[in-house]
Amino acid sequence: MTESTSPPTTTRGISLRTIGLLLLPILLLAGVIALFLARGGLGLEPAAPVEALTIERYTLSWGHINIHVRNASPGPVTIAQVIVNDSVWPFTLEPGREIPRLGRAIITLAYPWSYGEAYGIRIFTSNAIPFDLEIPVAFATTKPAAATFWNFALIGLYVGVIPVFLGIFWFPALRQLGRKWMTFLMAMTAGLLIFLGFDTITEALEKAAGVPGPFQGVGLIAIGAVATFLLLDAISRQQSATRASEADHRMGIAFMIATGIGFHNLGEGLAIGAAYNVGEIALSTFLVVGFIIQNITEGLGIIAPVLRDRPRIAQLGLLGLIGGAPAILGAWAGGFAPSPTLAVLFLAIGTGAIFEVVYEVGKLIRKDTAREPMPLVVFSGVVAGMLLLWITGLWIK
Amino acid sequence: MPRNLSRRDLFKLGGAGILTASGIVALNKTSLTTNHKHNLLQTPAPMEHGALPGVGEVDHERNGFNPMELLTDFDYGHVSLLPNGQTLREYEVVAINKEIEIVPGIKFPAWTYNGRVPGPTFRATEGDRIRIKFINGSNHVHSMHFHGFHPGSMDGVPGSGGMAEPGQEFTYEFDAEPFGLHLYHCHAFPLARHIAKGLYGAFVIDPKEGRPRVDHEFVMVMSGFDVDFDDTNDFYAVNGIPFYYQNHPIQIRVGETVRIYLVNILEFDLINSFHLHANFFQYYPTGTSLTPSEFTDTIIQGQAQRGILEFSYKYPGMYMFHAHVTEFAELGWNGMFEVIP
Repeated sequence: MTESTSPPTTTRGISLRTIGLLLLPILLLAGVIALFLARGGLGLEPAAPVEALTIERYTLSWGHINIHVRNASPGPVTIAQVIVNDSVWPFTLEPGREIPRLGRAIITLAYPWSYGEAYGIRIFTSNAIPFDLEIPVAFATTKPAAATFWNFALIGLYVGVIPVFLGIFWFPALRQLGRKWMTFLMAMTAGLLIFLGFDTITEALEKAAGVPGPFQGVGLIAIGAVATFLLLDAISRQQSATRASEADHRMGIAFMIATGIGFHNLGEGLAIGAAYNVGEIALSTFLVVGFIIQNITEGLGIIAPVLRDRPRIAQLGLLGLIGGAPAILGAWAGGFAPSPTLAVLFLAIGTGAIFEVVYEVGKLIRKDTAREPMPLVVFSGVVAGMLLLWITGLWIK
Repeated sequence: MPRNLSRRDLFKLGGAGILTASGIVALNKTSLTTNHKHNLLQTPAPMEHGALPGVGEVDHERNGFNPMELLTDFDYGHVSLLPNGQTLREYEVVAINKEIEIVPGIKFPAWTYNGRVPGPTFRATEGDRIRIKFINGSNHVHSMHFHGFHPGSMDGVPGSGGMAEPGQEFTYEFDAEPFGLHLYHCHAFPLARHIAKGLYGAFVIDPKEGRPRVDHEFVMVMSGFDVDFDDTNDFYAVNGIPFYYQNHPIQIRVGETVRIYLVNILEFDLINSFHLHANFFQYYPTGTSLTPSEFTDTIIQGQAQRGILEFSYKYPGMYMFHAHVTEFAELGWNGMFEVIP
């Protein structure tokens, strides 16, 4: 853009005429819509009923099955019949049989389910459109009691906090490394993050399939990811503008990496909590071991930018908490109030945060390589980071 | 349920593993004790809406027919004598499309004979002349294909004759033979769909000397409804409305003799069955003999098989009758006799 040709901008108040001109198209639009509706719309009836019912979750208690549904159709939906394992079953519906568009309802079945068995439930609307729910393993849904809160916290602790801190414990050793190795570690962090970023967005897209249509899961991903990316970028620029110290800037990046990984772990926590609720948790000690090995790399990534500095212990502790503790929050939310829409949003935020941090780490690496070009170190670092997650992933998939 | 294993699954698995690895006893203990309790008890939880599946009442008035009336609705036709002394029975049947509320809240876009599912139960004596004026008032080609003796031109099958285009009519004429319990249905193609949509009914031919007199004669046509058109039945019924005789028991008295004309025209499933509680019945397969073939409490019928059941009750009480393919029973094919002292 050439500055000389831009017209001089004046800051005088907006005149009434401007307001009028701004409003004119909106008024015309209102007129067009009114005309359209007055003429009875397009006068087209749908050829067949279009109905979409999203089964958001279910809970089981002794003698009862509760199904939470949301109407994602263009119009209201009436629930007509519920069939459990090929048996027409009486049910009650709160708040009513007819669910308005985007409205939620809870179907309650007084059904004598048995522990450990599988159930297939078919919900028929009044237009005879079936919606199916499968309960792979029936067991009483955990209630948000103090004990289960603590247990979910422990899950989050093992999944997020402990591996991240274990990674941070590498700090004293890594400080002894030479500049080249530190650059390698930074590049490796970038590689780790790129891998996690792709992983997170894939999960977000998978989850988006379960989001009721009108909430536009993929749109939410775009908004969450782009907004987070730009916001973190803006914060980072402001920091580098105001802060003199390079070390402070690097610490800022470490905090951003921790934030990005924190969102990633929040998504993991959500999935674990939700999975526990639907009984998908299989018990395997072996998997946990592999799991900790994979997540320890996240801690490594967080501290990589500040290796040459002297961060305080408290700062390192805070970094670990930001990176790991959201797993606990996620487990609570996923376990007690799972919502596919929120999960998608969190995962999208995580994606945006992670890719922004990759960008920041890239800038740090460029500063290093400007002094001393080492293209192979960067290449091998990034690839090593990605391979590290891929290979540890082999153990636990 | 097909599932693709994602990294999420690993976390799910991982999360669980942690439970064991860290020896978090509390969670396991709480869930195990509650679950264990359920497992040991194995008693059903109290149901809030009574002990039987199936709920509510459909709008019979709007449907235009009531299964309780269909039970004894034998149509002898308009009777006259032919010059040769033969009895002539004349009927008029109209095929129409009609929405039928089969279970509360669900309307099935049925194809019907005379607006009801099953269609009318024709009844004649062996040797009578049958003349049926069939008017196709629907928007699809239909026919009436009778089981029994008749010329090929009266078979109601594409290529042989007896099809009626929309707005057209066809008159079927043949002698009623052999005696027994038969049926009729549409034989237009696609056949399974034409039958499953509701175009079927029973056809009773009495032997010349008649059957022994009984106190009650009932007709029961077993069928199913595929409401979402995936070629799998969603509901099962006798005489059109699932759970009807469960909600409205058929009243008989102790010692009264009962004869049931039972027809199976169930599509998509291979077999259907009939089981009578706390009783046995004489069974006459296809009704073509006056000597029963079996004394039993359960019989199986494939599609278009039919037979006559005779029994009476020794004790008063409520007695269930249903398909012993229990899945069908819980999806609608369930009824009750109320035996009054």
